Amino acid sequence: MTTTPAFTEETLDIAGTSLQLRRGGSGEPLLILHGELGVPDWLQAHELLAKHYSVYVPSLPGFGTSSFPDWLMSVRDLSTWVSWFVRAHGLSTPLNVIGFSLGGWIAAELATANSHIFSKMVLVGAGGIKPREGEIWDYFLHSAKEAFQQSFHDHESAEYLKYYGKDWTPDEADQVETNREAAIRYLWRPYMHSITLPDLLPAIATPTLLVWGRQDGIVPISSCELYKEGIPGARAAVLEECGHMPEMEKPEEFTKTVLEFLGG
Amino acid sequence: MFIGHFTEQPWQKEDWPAAWGSGVMEVSNSEYDPLRASGLYNRYLDEKVYAEEMGFDGIMVNEHHSAPFCMNSVANVTSSILARITQKAKILILGNILPIHDDPLWLAEQIAMIDVISKGRLIPGVVRGGGSESLTHNVPPHFNRERFEEAHDFLVKTWTTPGPFRWEGKHFHYRYVNPWAVPLQKPYPPIWVPGTSSRETVEWAARHRYPYIMLASQIDLTQQMYKIYYDTAREEGYEAGPQHLGFMFFFHVEETEKRAMEVGRTLTQGVRSPYDPGAQRPRPYIAGPPGIATRSARALRRKMTAADSSGRTRAGARATFEDQVATHGMVVGTPDSVIPKVRYIMEQLRPGTIIFRTGDGAMDHESQMRTLKLMGEEVMPKLREIADELGLPGPYDIDPRTNEPLAAMAS
Repeated sequence: MTTTPAFTEETLDIAGTSLQLRRGGSGEPLLILHGELGVPDWLQAHELLAKHYSVYVPSLPGFGTSSFPDWLMSVRDLSTWVSWFVRAHGLSTPLNVIGFSLGGWIAAELATANSHIFSKMVLVGAGGIKPREGEIWDYFLHSAKEAFQQSFHDHESAEYLKYYGKDWTPDEADQVETNREAAIRYLWRPYMHSITLPDLLPAIATPTLLVWGRQDGIVPISSCELYKEGIPGARAAVLEECGHMPEMEKPEEFTKTVLEFLGG
Repeated sequence: MFIGHFTEQPWQKEDWPAAWGSGVMEVSNSEYDPLRASGLYNRYLDEKVYAEEMGFDGIMVNEHHSAPFCMNSVANVTSSILARITQKAKILILGNILPIHDDPLWLAEQIAMIDVISKGRLIPGVVRGGGSESLTHNVPPHFNRERFEEAHDFLVKTWTTPGPFRWEGKHFHYRYVNPWAVPLQKPYPPIWVPGTSSRETVEWAARHRYPYIMLASQIDLTQQMYKIYYDTAREEGYEAGPQHLGFMFFFHVEETEKRAMEVGRTLTQGVRSPYDPGAQRPRPYIAGPPGIATRSARALRRKMTAADSSGRTRAGARATFEDQVATHGMVVGTPDSVIPKVRYIMEQLRPGTIIFRTGDGAMDHESQMRTLKLMGEEVMPKLREIADELGLPGPYDIDPRTNEPLAAMAS
């Protein structure tokens, strides 16, 4: 079965930024916070989620075509920015959120400070916690191409081939570099983790699902265990034969897992 | 005319695998043999002392990190030694890599001490550093320029303002700035700025009236960069001159043309700087991590690269020894044959400073010493005459800060 993606893309002057926002579907709002490599398009997972929710996919400041104000210097700044965006855009709260990698870290930071903003929270391959075993893969000692290879377990999966496993046009390559520039400002040191977040996780009152690819080559699965131990009542779903980007590598299985949690 | 001498101080070993290239973040330091290193460090120091004896006005040192092509990873260490073991030559650091210092107060103290011990002979130049410097010292590449500028402003204030004072900047914060050591040279030691092809760096140097030393040995590119300097100077309300501009190029001189070509060739062999024509570059994301160039600079570079792909060959791409000799990136020959070639460079560029880069790559100590001797005895005296004839004052003839003559300090 094929479906025609139905989404809109617009540029909003909001929350101190010029913001690229993709949205589609109808119903309750569902906020998507993308990862440190940005989000290239309206993805199949967004489309599947949009059958049930009004899905909002902002390009975080510095990513995509969103502007990159100087004052945004940390992931905690970004989490405050998300709260500003939600209020400024008039999204009804509490709302559901899915955060991928960097986006998961942002959501967790926000949830430690505000127990009223999210109704349910899904953290996918989330950064922010130094793993108990292994190390978070270093994007900045590798090329952008290598980063995408490392992020996927299955290099034959449809969206890997569509967006990453090919030669980029100059514009595509430039966008990848722009996203890396944004990531480096937020993630440089301590690299992709917070010193204080582990001690703040018990403050989270939001029902939380952790989703991890068993073969996550970016954030080791031992970080998932630490998130689960830290956030009261958190559950974990591990997808087999899957890397750091389950939403792109296994969109149907991923979406099913998430919808069961959000709807349950 | 100010005549300087430079050697990159490369690691030298015959069995260096070609795949390691310049070695920048490519090779484990388990390959570092401290005994071999001890010999090389001392050899290079001996050569610098001899360069002073042969009449060079300045001994230039630099630094790179996790980079075998430049063993001198702490410019201030070599400069400290030179402060004590040389007597007359300026000690030219090009330069301290300002953005990688999380504690620029410590840097201010080091530079002040070297200036005092050398009796005011230090030229503490400043640079932004390449990507490997940011990566190895783990300082944010995306704030490279901001940190460079703030550290510079902090150094100048520390050297010129009686302490104690407080500094609350964006990247550096101090509650008590009052180092006991302050520089001997007033108002503060002369800062020079080296560069290759960054427009922003040339403009910054010109705005501060700091001499700009072009390290990329390409005449056409250097002319473009000098033009930016002259234009920026006019915007700032002063007229730039030779005292504000310098040029560095490879050099080797021997008694016979045949031997010069045979031995000169070793400059392009061995563990070479990745910035040299024809040398293996570091991986792109090491050379230029995301954000080290501003978004506007990146857009400009993209435009220039696109223009280049239309068929124009860049000088830097002409990489063989013969090509570099033909384009004056390397000047090699006998005393009689090199002087007209250097004169050509001086006529084309009109720099007040020229820096000879000798003894690099795979060149051995004896060849380096021969070239320094011939330079001192036969080449440099003639070049000084030519510089006078062409009217090329150096930064110790005309003060770049005021454009006033500095007769008392002329060498």
